[in-house]
Amino acid sequence: MKRSKAFGTAVISIVLGGGALALAGFALASAAPHQAPLQCQPIAGSPGNCTLTISSYPDSLAGEHGTTGGAHADWVSYSNYNLDVPANTTVHMVIKQYDSGGSLNNAFFSHVWGTTTGTATYSIPSTDGKTYSKPAALSVVDTNNIGHTFTLRGVPGNGTPIFVSIPLPANPATNSITIGSGTYSSPVLVSFTFKTGSKGVYEWNCEFPCGGSREGQFGEAMSSYGYMSGTVTVK
Amino acid sequence: MATTNKKESLRGMFFTWALLTAIGLVISVYAPSRLMPRSMSDNMHLTILTIIVFSVAAAPVAAGVYAVALHALRHWMHRGDDVPAPASEQTREHATLTVSWVLASTLLTVFLLIWGLGALAVDNGGNGANPLVVNVTGQQWLWTFSYPGSNVQSPTLVLPEGRTVDFHITALDVTHGFWIANMGVQVDANVGTTTELHTTPNQLGQFDVRCTQFCGLNHAFMVTTGTVVTPAQFSTWLATQAKAQKA
Repeated sequence: MKRSKAFGTAVISIVLGGGALALAGFALASAAPHQAPLQCQPIAGSPGNCTLTISSYPDSLAGEHGTTGGAHADWVSYSNYNLDVPANTTVHMVIKQYDSGGSLNNAFFSHVWGTTTGTATYSIPSTDGKTYSKPAALSVVDTNNIGHTFTLRGVPGNGTPIFVSIPLPANPATNSITIGSGTYSSPVLVSFTFKTGSKGVYEWNCEFPCGGSREGQFGEAMSSYGYMSGTVTVK
Repeated sequence: MATTNKKESLRGMFFTWALLTAIGLVISVYAPSRLMPRSMSDNMHLTILTIIVFSVAAAPVAAGVYAVALHALRHWMHRGDDVPAPASEQTREHATLTVSWVLASTLLTVFLLIWGLGALAVDNGGNGANPLVVNVTGQQWLWTFSYPGSNVQSPTLVLPEGRTVDFHITALDVTHGFWIANMGVQVDANVGTTTELHTTPNQLGQFDVRCTQFCGLNHAFMVTTGTVVTPAQFSTWLATQAKAQKA
């Protein structure tokens, strides 16, 4: 009798403990930021091609964190972090870079990697933000004048291997424009194309050390999901 | 009567030990090479061989522990709520048993020590007359590789078969762990320090390069691929990359 009572208590403890853990996990998962993926838009009259535009900001006031900027309004962010692209398609991507910059800690990421042409096209605004330089196709940019990178890579065994890394130069403009509740300057425009293969989920993040001061500037926004990292789902 | 029971009891324990030892030996010989990653270097071959030898040496010891435990569970477990009666007889100060146990343990330990030191010496041996130097940089959450003398950089690792590779490993932000399971290569990548490690690929094919230190948000995705190619293919790849990256 005593033994069966002890056994029953043990079973109930395990069930309750497991339930509490599951509840805690569910609560954490629910609290994590969720954003509807940005869809790559088909280009009319050009089957097998789609276009995608995202932005990088010096704060979180213009992206998916809302006009209040969410919990960390002062953290750098990309406008979107979950991206959907079709399989076996040429993706024409444009990134509007609103942030300033500095020096990379690894010159590897000042190179353009994995695009269909081996280059990305850069158009830089003037200081007053009113005019733009003639678009130039570059395979490498100044290591000491980088704002962010968009670095996309696959996981072995998951879909067709992809490695795309685009350096985004620092923004030299000083004019003021308002987007969301943030005030920025005319963006650097960076465009490039890459091809997707089979279906799979890929990870992307920024490789410029733009997070908090801890961990070699890779803390805070760089170490929190939904700011400088996300997924690309090839469907 | 008690002596007969004791002999039967010891015989039963011996058969259990023999059976478990046989099972352990079979598992020791066949499991490592089937469960571990495919060997693609001398280091990995030595690692698998060491695990087999150590497992074979450990099998009779583990079997002895399990045989005694099973015997005790079967014959000496007290059932019921009352206080168990004192054992009718106990074995104390059994000189032969004590000496045998200490001697066997000593021999086994010395054997493992000598084998381990030998394996370590082979593993840390010279890196050949013409090693290929590859700089390995870990940062959240990517590996990048560069080939000094050629100005070639790559997000994937390409190595020639049969030539010793001297990895110069470092990190830029936090500690990472450079691990090529197929080559038996694993060492921390530390900030501000360059750690050298060498191996000689001896099998063509693909492998994964992973991070073994929990290094942050996307640690789980800090994986890239590597390929071992023939020396001729490697030269072609290096030349092609050098030309492309120069342009």
